[in-house]
Amino acid sequence: MKKIKLIIMTLAIAFSIGGAFATAPRQSQDCQAATQYYYNGNYVLAGRLGIDYICVTPSSAVCTYYKVGSTYTPCMWGNYCTSNCRTSTPAPKKAKN
Amino acid sequence: MNKRQVVLESISALLIMLFLYASISKFLDFNRFIGEMNNQPFPNSWTPFLVWTVPSLEIAISLALIFERTRMVGFIASLILMTLFTIYTAAILLHFFAYVPCSCGGVIRKLSWPQHLVFNLFFVALSVMGIILQRRSFFKSIIITKNSFV
Repeated sequence: MKKIKLIIMTLAIAFSIGGAFATAPRQSQDCQAATQYYYNGNYVLAGRLGIDYICVTPSSAVCTYYKVGSTYTPCMWGNYCTSNCRTSTPAPKKAKN
Repeated sequence: MNKRQVVLESISALLIMLFLYASISKFLDFNRFIGEMNNQPFPNSWTPFLVWTVPSLEIAISLALIFERTRMVGFIASLILMTLFTIYTAAILLHFFAYVPCSCGGVIRKLSWPQHLVFNLFFVALSVMGIILQRRSFFKSIIITKNSFV
């Protein structure tokens, strides 16, 4: 009885630790670890996520790009926003009486 | 090992996998986690507190779920944490906040917000099932302990 419990728990712990390491982005593959740019006609430095800008969804737009060689490649999706960021499609609010 | 115990062990294993995977993923990519936390629609002053508290709580719940004596506490803590995550996800989907942040960034990060909601609800249901099943053996152990003192 205890043997089955031990096997289940060992597998759960092994899968979660192994899975976390297996899916952890390698530095070279992780676009968010690279310098981020946004496009406003030109590619401009985006700054730090959550401090200088946020990516607002729902949007199919590219929020930020990163550089692969000399090419700017999409990294994060959403609308690039620096201030007064509001969702493009707010939910209808009930009218107050 | 009867059927109920197998189900109980399986529920614990699934919750352990969720919390342990999520916490280790956060620590393995800590800088990105800080960025994502800052991207959420609550004040950035909360970030230093949340980036340590959330993964630490997840590891503590995983540990509580491993051991029989602390499993009930683990299930209750799991229910509370998953309910909070679910309320937050629902609030985002209902446009309660000024903006909807990207659910950017392991495997769980690739889910959209509606997918996150279904995912969270599944684990809330698992925690409830765990509490119901564990309660029987929990009270049984209390009765046995009481009787042993009589």
